[in-house]
Amino acid sequence: MSGLSKSSLKMPVMAVLLVSLPFWVGNTYQLHIATLIGSYWVLICALNLAVGYTGILSIGHVALLSIGAYCYAILSGTYDLSPWFAAACSGLLGGLCGLLLGLPSLRLPGFYFAMATIAFSMMAMEFSLAQDDLTGGGAGLSVPPFPPPFDSPEGLYWLVLGFAAVVSFLSWNLVRFMWGRAMIAVRDSHVAASSVGVPIFRLKLSVFTFSGVAAGVAGALFASLQSYITPETFVFELGLFFFVCIVIGGRGSIWGPFLGTIILAALPELSGSLAHWGQFFYGVLLLLVVLLIPEGVGSAFVLLKEKLRPRKREKQVVNPDLQRLRAAIALQPSDDELAIPGQSGSSTLKPFKQRG
Amino acid sequence: MPGIEIDTVSKRFGGVLAVDEVSLNLQVGEIHGLIGPNGSGKTTLLNLLSGYYDLDGGTIKVDEHLLNDKSVQARVSLGVARTFQKPKLLESLSVLDNAMLGGWRDVQTGFMKTALSVGRTRKEERDLRDRAEEVLHGVGLGHLVHEQAGRLDHAEQRFLEIARSLCMRPKYILLDEPAGGLTEHEIEQLAVIVTTMRDVGLGVLIVEHHTDFVFRISDRVTTLDLGKRIACGAPDAVRNDPEVIRVYLGA
Amino acid sequence: MLSVLITGLAIGALYSAAALAYNVMYSTSKVLSITTGHIFMVSSVAGAFLIGDLGLPKVVGLLGAIVIAIIFGLLTELIAIRRILARSEDHLWLLSTLALATIVQQSIGLWWGTEPRAFPRLIPQDFTAGIWDQKYWLVIGTVALVALGLDLFYRHTLFGKVFLAVAEDPFAAKARGIATDRIRAFSYGIAGFLGGLVGFAAGQLTFAYFALGLTLTLFGFIALAAGGLGSNLGAIVGGLTLGLLSTFATYFFGGEYQQTIAVGLLMLFLLIKPEGLFGNKQVRHV
Repeated sequence: MSGLSKSSLKMPVMAVLLVSLPFWVGNTYQLHIATLIGSYWVLICALNLAVGYTGILSIGHVALLSIGAYCYAILSGTYDLSPWFAAACSGLLGGLCGLLLGLPSLRLPGFYFAMATIAFSMMAMEFSLAQDDLTGGGAGLSVPPFPPPFDSPEGLYWLVLGFAAVVSFLSWNLVRFMWGRAMIAVRDSHVAASSVGVPIFRLKLSVFTFSGVAAGVAGALFASLQSYITPETFVFELGLFFFVCIVIGGRGSIWGPFLGTIILAALPELSGSLAHWGQFFYGVLLLLVVLLIPEGVGSAFVLLKEKLRPRKREKQVVNPDLQRLRAAIALQPSDDELAIPGQSGSSTLKPFKQRG
Repeated sequence: MPGIEIDTVSKRFGGVLAVDEVSLNLQVGEIHGLIGPNGSGKTTLLNLLSGYYDLDGGTIKVDEHLLNDKSVQARVSLGVARTFQKPKLLESLSVLDNAMLGGWRDVQTGFMKTALSVGRTRKEERDLRDRAEEVLHGVGLGHLVHEQAGRLDHAEQRFLEIARSLCMRPKYILLDEPAGGLTEHEIEQLAVIVTTMRDVGLGVLIVEHHTDFVFRISDRVTTLDLGKRIACGAPDAVRNDPEVIRVYLGA
Repeated sequence: MLSVLITGLAIGALYSAAALAYNVMYSTSKVLSITTGHIFMVSSVAGAFLIGDLGLPKVVGLLGAIVIAIIFGLLTELIAIRRILARSEDHLWLLSTLALATIVQQSIGLWWGTEPRAFPRLIPQDFTAGIWDQKYWLVIGTVALVALGLDLFYRHTLFGKVFLAVAEDPFAAKARGIATDRIRAFSYGIAGFLGGLVGFAAGQLTFAYFALGLTLTLFGFIALAAGGLGSNLGAIVGGLTLGLLSTFATYFFGGEYQQTIAVGLLMLFLLIKPEGLFGNKQVRHV
């Protein structure tokens, strides 16, 4: 399964680099960017499961980010509640909105769902502008920081890093076990998925709700980082940015979108003029990737490698091993039948006859 | 009484009656061939059985459970697996991953437990991997376990889809033209695999155009023509049935 | 009240036109292009630019706007659709048309500005004309003509029948020697013409505004979904209904929740009847 590499060196090195980042990074501004990337990743990592693995095209996902952000700002700011409680509510609200949005729309073809998310993002924008006694309307809201020690730039960075690590861990598990295969089946072949019994709608709803929770939490972190939010902060084009990170990174991979997020988020900050052309640039990038390398930049390397050194496969004659086949597909395993080699003791899996 | 009971089912598409009051019985430990000219309704019947189409008449029962409104997934949990004329594989994944997908129904851990990687999830993964490897070796794809499914040739893809279906540990398996595009040698291997399925106790319904192959391995053969059943019985009887010869087998 | 009605009809007509454009492109490509609304936007901006900024005669402005819109339609097919369909990757066209729409929207925004700008008066008329103002009737009249034209085209010309054949069964059409690529490009050109004509006519209603594209894409789709994908009658009924509903909602509840109400209604509707009023029942899947 593609996903995080099992190479034993990559992870610890990266962990050390990330945790120690505030100490080796150049200045506070760059730390701010790193924290921003981290909070984006909390959203993008989960959105990647929906978009990259399951094929749910949530274009308007930025709406859930803004809902999380405003929820946090209002609860911890206006109502002066605990920021932890507020952040938890952000996550819950994000998940609830994801659930409510997904219930009617995930049964419909992809375009309907995509449009529904776009519509939802416009609704969220309308709401934040209209309910101005709650959200501050066009003027926006100031956002309180998390309590010490997370109110310093370093502290907030580590908090965001922690959440990012949690989301990454959860996502990694989801993709490397059976749910990952089921998600890809839903994306690539509905027929294959249903033919093995995958509950397509329920799976989509679970994944999308999960991405809603993550977006909500990301919103709280993001708001705290920005310390002031307005409806303009959550324009539709931000959702496009999330998409580009995932598509560029490559569907069916976690590393890809992670690197994509880092590069694409850092770019506009590095070259000031790019910020003005930002949305145009993302559009061009998305178009190029979709037309030329829809499987992401990673696949471009693989394709190149194939062109340079084509790997020939020896055509071997297919020879069934009937003894193993018999053992593997037997309907009622009895005590005196051969145990399937490799299985230790009793299996947790029950054959069909005994399942309820 | 175990078995699949298809009782006078019909299916209409617009003005066309694709399946016209067809009855068919599939028992455990049986290979039942389904033959007929193009457009006779074979694949439609299969789709009605696996749940991709709704019935316009008649009933279908699996082990006495009435199927009529049940979803495709619900029928899977009754032990019915199937392959397709054009294999539906996940080309970006490995052969092993594709086969393991067949183990979905045996996954007990839900979304959150999987995300938290609880011990049970990891055990299920190991067990399903072992099962998939055994089945893959069983059908002869053991040497391709880590190959990307999209790089397989036609015959290998067919066998992979069969492997996936077998990983479902089904009671009944529906094969839709599995011999299509296979060489003599590969058809031999297919025959061996299908007879093993029968010997182990599965009920196999096999839709095919390779009539020699079907007559050779089947215990019973049903013939359709223009949506109607025109013959059903032992292979020799059906092969010599004048109606069958007239519409399908030729002189 | 009457003015609310007329406004609703005019806006509704615009939504209907967008839905019709969707249908035309969908019929030959089975693709719902996100660039649909942007065709109208490009035309209105072009018209405002040619007539307002460059001072060219109105007819030239009209023709220029239509030509530009047609080119945009053809480019959409060439760039965002053709290669994607050839590769038969499911739903990638959604991303490619989204990307193209963004590129166009942002370019126009950068060049034309992000504020809505006035569209020039086409027919000499007092600005106090009220419900008889041309900004309503130009749209309504043009869309009525377009709807009629489309109907005549599909039913009474050979070309139109070829269109329907390709839509019904592209494989069979190809087998009979019909150049599906060309037909598809042609249909996108027709959609461009439709969008160009109506976008220009609606310019005074919508203003020349770079963000109009996405709004029309969304609302045109809502109209399409409500009326039933593939049905031109549904497109018109859906569009007019949507226009009237959202205008009356604005009148009674204020303009702040205009989109919420429209979208909320759509959601409700799709829950009950996902295939729309006149659509066929294939929309729901497993």
